[in-house]
Amino acid sequence: MEPLLKMQGVCKSFYGTQVLKEVAFELRIREVHALLGENGAGKSTLIKIISGAYKLDAGVVTFKGQNINYGPKGAEDLGIVTIYQNFHLVPHLNVAENLALRQLTSEKGWRVDWTAVYRQARVTLEKLNFPIDPRSKVKDLSIARQQMLEIAIALSKRAEVIVMDEPTAALSRKEIETLFGIIRQLKADGISVIYVSHKLEEIKEIGDRVTILRDGRNVATLGLQETELKEIIRLMIGREVTASAWQEERPGKAVVLALQGVTSRSFGHPLNLTVREHEVVGVTGLVGAGKTELARVLFGIDRIEGGNLYLQGKEVGLVDPRAAVTAGIGYLPEDRDGKGLCLNLGVRENLTLALLAKLKQILLNRASEKKLVSAGMKSVQIRAAGMAQKVKYLSGGNKQKVVFGKWLEAGCQVLILDEPTTGIDVGARKELYDLVHRFVEKTATAVVFISSDVNEILEVADRVLVMSNYRIVAELDAQHTDKQSIVEHSMRLIS
Amino acid sequence: MKLRPEKVGGRARVSDLFGNQAISMLVILAAMFLVLSRLSPYFFTVGNLSDITLQTAVIGIIAAGETLIIISGGIDLSVGSIFACSGVVGGIVLQKTASVPAGLLATVLFGGVLGFFNGLFITRLRVPPFVATLGMLGMARGAALILSRGIPIFGLSSQYLWIGQGKIFDLIPVPTIILLMVFALTFFVAHYTRFGRFTYAIGSNAEAAALSGINLRLVTTCIYTGGGLLCGVASIIEGARLATIQPAGGTGYELLAIGAVVIGGTSLFGGEGSIIATLMGAILETTIRNGLNILGVNAFWHYVVNGGVIIAAVAVDQFKRRA
Repeated sequence: MEPLLKMQGVCKSFYGTQVLKEVAFELRIREVHALLGENGAGKSTLIKIISGAYKLDAGVVTFKGQNINYGPKGAEDLGIVTIYQNFHLVPHLNVAENLALRQLTSEKGWRVDWTAVYRQARVTLEKLNFPIDPRSKVKDLSIARQQMLEIAIALSKRAEVIVMDEPTAALSRKEIETLFGIIRQLKADGISVIYVSHKLEEIKEIGDRVTILRDGRNVATLGLQETELKEIIRLMIGREVTASAWQEERPGKAVVLALQGVTSRSFGHPLNLTVREHEVVGVTGLVGAGKTELARVLFGIDRIEGGNLYLQGKEVGLVDPRAAVTAGIGYLPEDRDGKGLCLNLGVRENLTLALLAKLKQILLNRASEKKLVSAGMKSVQIRAAGMAQKVKYLSGGNKQKVVFGKWLEAGCQVLILDEPTTGIDVGARKELYDLVHRFVEKTATAVVFISSDVNEILEVADRVLVMSNYRIVAELDAQHTDKQSIVEHSMRLIS
Repeated sequence: MKLRPEKVGGRARVSDLFGNQAISMLVILAAMFLVLSRLSPYFFTVGNLSDITLQTAVIGIIAAGETLIIISGGIDLSVGSIFACSGVVGGIVLQKTASVPAGLLATVLFGGVLGFFNGLFITRLRVPPFVATLGMLGMARGAALILSRGIPIFGLSSQYLWIGQGKIFDLIPVPTIILLMVFALTFFVAHYTRFGRFTYAIGSNAEAAALSGINLRLVTTCIYTGGGLLCGVASIIEGARLATIQPAGGTGYELLAIGAVVIGGTSLFGGEGSIIATLMGAILETTIRNGLNILGVNAFWHYVVNGGVIIAAVAVDQFKRRA
């Protein structure tokens, strides 16, 4: 059978880094084709080429046997519609208006026939059996309903191929089943779906075939019926399976931070966790496993509803982040620019902010601040034009060092790092790992290092906690485990 | 896949060169003085120059507090009303107690109380600063009119009047001294106290500030309280200069005060701004009014010119940011 969409020898580079290396991909009619790969494997780039958002550097794309070369509008005209993770809906308009948006903006004339707009919306939604009121505002819809609306919009553009980027990331199990029902219906109606995800179980459940990308290459395209999940993981991460050993409790070392039966808004199932002196505890898991929520609990952003938190053996109630800072906890948020830094202030002001918040005196001793800052800049190796340079002009790596330095200046004993290396180049990553290791050499210090990058966790952590569905599902010794078993745990293949 | 090209200091250096707002303001002021003294022989006399500083005092002092508020990412539209209401309350206390210190203290403290309420509306009721202070603009004005029954307060003692009309060494007006003291103090607070540092941090990124352990509510409330206190100080000077306390006084002062801050290059987005540049901005506004007066331009035009200057100042600032 002639494939609907066929890509051959597709290459794409950004700033000299080759992200896609001669990738081949084909999509059949009435097929749900899963695209699988780790972060940075090239999934997003590939679908952006399919949707016309990126131009390819080399390679050939054919659609229904014809060579094509298009932009985003062109892709939709051909019938290839992409539903991105962050939806492209207008939140303050209602459902019918969003459905009619393309038509309204392309039509000439100034009059809008609202009766027709609402009638059309009702017909479209009824035909698809989507329980959505055409008059409700998009911002009031649940994520699942917004997704349905995106699918309805895609179909109203006469889509033949729908690309879905991580469609289940924010959905509950029940909503996922509804989505799968919709996808099966789409398939029955002759529409092909490209399904990007890293949730293996889902791919196995909904997909017909899978293409696995690793480091920008297509390592395999397989039928999902006849392939074992373990084999898929092996292809995805590129290493052989080895047995893993379980970590035992390490006696002797003092417990720096402990959670006992802690529940919160996000954690219905009680959490237990101990972090010992000189230890880097890696926390990993898929998107939506509850990693960031764990950080929020540890830093007092989300209130603890049940259970206790102990710091250096004493019970502490973290009512807000301020209490956490006072207690000696530091937090490097995932959204570095949005939550970690005062971008239009200088390195100096950012470095001493948490320290100043902890102090009690009224006056600011600028001379001693200057000394502290210049010593701090040296010890975390911030490369800046000077301590007055505004933080917004620094690179990602240097920005992160500023946030790290801020907590060092404040004399924190426990640091919580949430995805600290996103947007940071390899060299700066190594420097950050060094900083983390140097930090835990001090007495009574420990680090909780959260990352979805398993390689990174294995490199930096002493002990690995794997999270899934807001629970800690495995505790592994980083010396005696490997990527395979971590990934299997995070996908709940082992329990 | 996230790839960000490294940004090196090039842009930073360009903005540093133009960035010192206080210096470029000084250049503009000097140019204006030059032109005006050419146009009128009266302009560049000791008498007129000391008048300019005198006329700057009221708006300048209000603008000092407004600068900190705007640096923190907020805005205070109620300054004119707080100015009038604190004046009336102080005037009543003065009449009842016949004690000048009590009257002065009451004026300043009541300004602080109204500013404190602004802070509470913003931090406790989570009303955006624009709306909270717009509400206060109405309430404080109404209170001023109710308490005074709409009648100006006269009969201030000569001690009181000295604050607005006296001169030290027969040369420097007292309001000028107070103006300079207020700016010295505000500058000190902004740069040599933890509170000042937190003000900048909150304006730059309130969430990052809170996650660094800063008590957002306390600091924000203090910023607005400080703004209110300074409105009280300004009210005393104006009352003493005019020898009456007007319950309807201070109307439109928010425009002049915010104007001075903005002309001084403080960003309405928060986190950036200079106290000294606000002083220059206030002097610039007064100089324009003074110059137009001397040249015999109809007073109604002052508002038009002042409004135009505010827009021009921000437009130039935006242009420099893009450059």
